[in-house]
Amino acid sequence: MSEPTSTAGTPVPETPTAGTSIPSASTRGKPTRGAFRPLRAALCFGARPLRAALWLAVLAVAVAVPFYLEGFWLQAGLFAMSAAIGAIGINLLTGATGQLSLGHAFFLAVGAYSYVSLSSDLGLPTPLAAVAAVIVAGVSGGLFSPIAGRLKGAYLGIATLALIFVGQHILFNAEPVTGGFNGRPVPPMELFGLVFADTPELVVLNVPFGSLERLWFLGIALLAGAAVFARGVLRGRPGLAMNTIRDHEIAAGVMGVPVARYRAGVFVLSSMYGGLAGVLVALVFQQVVPDYFGMLLSLDYLATIVIGGLGSVAGAVVGAAFVSLLPQLLTRYSDALPLVAEPGSGGVSPAEAARILYGAAVVAVVLFLPGGLVGLATRLGRVRLKELRWAKSAPAPASRR
Amino acid sequence: MGKIGTRAGVAALALLSLAVTSCGSGKATGGGGGGDAGAANVDGVKTGPGVTATTITVSALTDLTGPYASFGKSQTQAQQLYFDQVNAGGGVCGRKYELVVRDHGYDTQKAVAAYTEIAPKSAAIVQFIGSPMITALKQRIDGDKLLTIPMAWATTLLGSRAIQVTGTTYDVDMINAVEFLTKEKGIKSGDKIGHLYFEGDYGESSLNGSKYAADKLGLQIVEQKIKATDQDMSAQVAAFKAAGVKAVLVSVGPRQTASLVGVSLAKGMDVPFVGSNSAYAPQLLATPAGPALLKDFYYVSAGTPVSAQNPGMQKLVADYQAKYPGETLDSGVPTGWSAAMIVDEAMKKACEAKDLTREGVLNAHRSQSNFGGDFGTPMNFTFFDKPASRSSYVLKPDKAALGGAVVFREAEVSELAKDYPVPVG
Amino acid sequence: MAVFLELLVNGISVGAVYALIALGFVVIFKATEVVNFTHASLLLAGGYVIARLHPLIGFWAALAAGIAAAALVGALVEFLILRRAHVGSRGVLAIVTIGVDILLTTELTRRIGTEVLALGDPWGDRVLRLGPVTVAETRVVALAVAATLIVAFLLAFKFTGWGVAMRAAAEDAETAALMGVRLGRVSLSAWAVAGALAAVAAMFLCVFPTPGLDRGTAAAAMKAFPAAILGGLDSTTGALAGGLIVGVTETLMSGYQSELAFLGRGIGDAAPFLVMIVILLLRPSGLFGTKEPARV
Repeated sequence: MSEPTSTAGTPVPETPTAGTSIPSASTRGKPTRGAFRPLRAALCFGARPLRAALWLAVLAVAVAVPFYLEGFWLQAGLFAMSAAIGAIGINLLTGATGQLSLGHAFFLAVGAYSYVSLSSDLGLPTPLAAVAAVIVAGVSGGLFSPIAGRLKGAYLGIATLALIFVGQHILFNAEPVTGGFNGRPVPPMELFGLVFADTPELVVLNVPFGSLERLWFLGIALLAGAAVFARGVLRGRPGLAMNTIRDHEIAAGVMGVPVARYRAGVFVLSSMYGGLAGVLVALVFQQVVPDYFGMLLSLDYLATIVIGGLGSVAGAVVGAAFVSLLPQLLTRYSDALPLVAEPGSGGVSPAEAARILYGAAVVAVVLFLPGGLVGLATRLGRVRLKELRWAKSAPAPASRR
Repeated sequence: MGKIGTRAGVAALALLSLAVTSCGSGKATGGGGGGDAGAANVDGVKTGPGVTATTITVSALTDLTGPYASFGKSQTQAQQLYFDQVNAGGGVCGRKYELVVRDHGYDTQKAVAAYTEIAPKSAAIVQFIGSPMITALKQRIDGDKLLTIPMAWATTLLGSRAIQVTGTTYDVDMINAVEFLTKEKGIKSGDKIGHLYFEGDYGESSLNGSKYAADKLGLQIVEQKIKATDQDMSAQVAAFKAAGVKAVLVSVGPRQTASLVGVSLAKGMDVPFVGSNSAYAPQLLATPAGPALLKDFYYVSAGTPVSAQNPGMQKLVADYQAKYPGETLDSGVPTGWSAAMIVDEAMKKACEAKDLTREGVLNAHRSQSNFGGDFGTPMNFTFFDKPASRSSYVLKPDKAALGGAVVFREAEVSELAKDYPVPVG
Repeated sequence: MAVFLELLVNGISVGAVYALIALGFVVIFKATEVVNFTHASLLLAGGYVIARLHPLIGFWAALAAGIAAAALVGALVEFLILRRAHVGSRGVLAIVTIGVDILLTTELTRRIGTEVLALGDPWGDRVLRLGPVTVAETRVVALAVAATLIVAFLLAFKFTGWGVAMRAAAEDAETAALMGVRLGRVSLSAWAVAGALAAVAAMFLCVFPTPGLDRGTAAAAMKAFPAAILGGLDSTTGALAGGLIVGVTETLMSGYQSELAFLGRGIGDAAPFLVMIVILLLRPSGLFGTKEPARV
């Protein structure tokens, strides 16, 4: 993907985290287990041609998926992609900069509803409406920043709760724009003459391409773009500055990091990621409804980045895949699973089992897996923990041992 | 290194080409959408998605872990019972029913995901709980021509050929409720009546009805909107009391109903209350609010209560209790049962026409103009931009009765409801 | 005027319950600087034990058992999970409490199922009449209990060894530890106390005017967030003030929603958050909170 920032002989510390992200997320279900270690080693430190080839293989799998998997899986994948984009945003803010935010669902709502309103009411071409929706989400993040700039830590975290409650109030009451409780239908995206909808019919290589198959590629492209950009931010000067603010705000100020500007900037950037996730999820839903953008969604995002791994792009992607696919897998295969009862039969139902596993995953990660699932994968890949950006910047657990 | 690189590169390219040619893909059908759609089977019956030579798959998208869990559970069990009985009697069209249940826990995303999973393999949806979820999927259900029985009664769900709202809509119920108040509870022109309602289509559909009726009868509605998370109705009661309302309409959840009625009586606001069909649950009678609810509270519904003395209902109650001993018998049991019956009836009719495709099932369903009997008021399915029925029962909580309610006034259509122009969509 | 008084009194009475919930948040934040999202499930746990036990052992014994059980759950959460969590910041600990809350709430709501559980309290649906104004007796008791507990905590923080240890730990954990304060014990006791408070709050939350304990009860804990923060996250007085402000705002906005229809109906739920934002803009650490000192 991008050029390594130092010579090949000395691996850059953050390479493992960033480099391993995509394969572990999208080769799911492929028998890569046995080849895991060499694969990882290759991706991290290995020869460039090998690495390029593996990325090509990842791409091939991503391209192949819509040709083989049914709609259910494509949709699950799309939800996971949207969640991953949103989670990257919140991970920039919470994971890398150390700022808790409970208002992320609000920015998803802003993105989703802006896209609908700008394309349906103002008649903007849909790609333009999508870009504008992301900007609107960023602007609304910026409008909140007088508050974000004034408050710190727990106070700001809880203050962002207001965004959810006030936001829902607006979604339900500003009917001309939001459609009230009914929500509004989402106009399908139209890009270079291709409509991301079921009609007009399209058959590619004998496989009927409906809206989910088409959106799959849009989702992959958006996620890849979002991931590469965030990785650039995290690896560059801004990333260092953000981590310094997280670890020691005053020291960061003393070292010349414009703390307030950075914090406002990251807040806006994370809002824009939320907005983009909102646009994608709206396209998948085909109808935006206010109920979706509630408190639970915000909490899910926070749990997602802890499970995946804080502060890295890979963590966000892996966490999102885990959190959004787990309930669907359990529901779908509830008949075949032990301990999970048929819905309504009185035992632990699949939905409950998913919630319990998901809560347990958060707890298990902080107890046993510092660095989240990505940290675990990295350790399995025999990369020493101290090389992890996450562990490096969080000395507390290390010193306790 | 270079060698490994080349080899890996070749492998990757091979993989890519494999991917793109999609050989061996189960999805490669040559296009045309639903695969075996319209294919004639051995027995000369055309079949569509969800129908094979031996089975008809029907699905329930229900809530077993969220706020409507009790309702969802009763309905699902009643429907399981129905299809088991039909299967035991030989099935329909030489095929057995298979009921697939998916629990979405009242979560829009999970409901959309579950729909995407089950829609391609279902012949009908016998139960779909949650108007926000159905609203989110309305376009797709219509496009898929998948006969769907929503377990929600908002007018926003009308206007789709594939979606069959059973019985009355919430607004029609409320019109009947207002007319009941004027006829039997001494409410007259110039009076104020309160309406406590939920944010969302349930509450707001109901409000449409009460406003229409109030307008025609010269009454004034005092509105109080709340959210499903609100528990304590003291502030709302204070506002109603201050406005001097003579009666209160209730379109909220059972908990809020209990709080409203209890607080009102305790504060000396002794007026009649009339609820929508989702405002009451028999579980409330065991709470401290029970006595207050037994006093002057009624609710309006097109569904016959389980305590009704008719042979169909009594058989259902007996069978249900035999199969699920000790389970609560609430309104979900007959509601679920009759929804299953509607789908079964459509399948039978479609079988007679030798067409079990989705289009065939919809045509068969939409040809019935007088469906009804022991479980609810008679319904007309031939149109889909108006409620299937306009007559509702007035029911009253009763501690001794099965299901916690008895018929207070037999089902009627009020004069107002007859001519009410239903806002669709 | 009578309406205003009625709404005001009702607002204060529901605010007392929010204050009790907020007090639990404050105790944990004061001792450990963690924002505790598990509070909602502690409420459920306490309420559940009271509801299940009162038919067997009577209301007061069940209340005591509920308080003990919720305190135990709180202590266990601290001892088994938070103490052992390998995380870099307190913000992450807050997310951990979200995970714990999901676990506990899922199991408790599964047990509650579809029932509405009565708590068997002695006050029933009696109301107190003060001239034109009526208020539920349960709420009068709640206000008295909240005020008493808050005074007790103020005194305890000032005069007991436990209180001093907690304040020291909050001020500067490292120094406090060097001075012989056992940080583990401080944080464990804070969680246990918060659990006990949650059980008391749950009891008042589930009796008249609400119908009883059910799976939705935990949602009320959300309203205590603005209460805790606008009073100041580390101030017990602030919890009371914040609770009352939230209760009064919510009740007045709901009661006058016909007059305030231009704000959109149902403004009562969003209003406390708007008030919270305004107060935080003026005083970033809440009304009574201490400004976080900069540690270098």
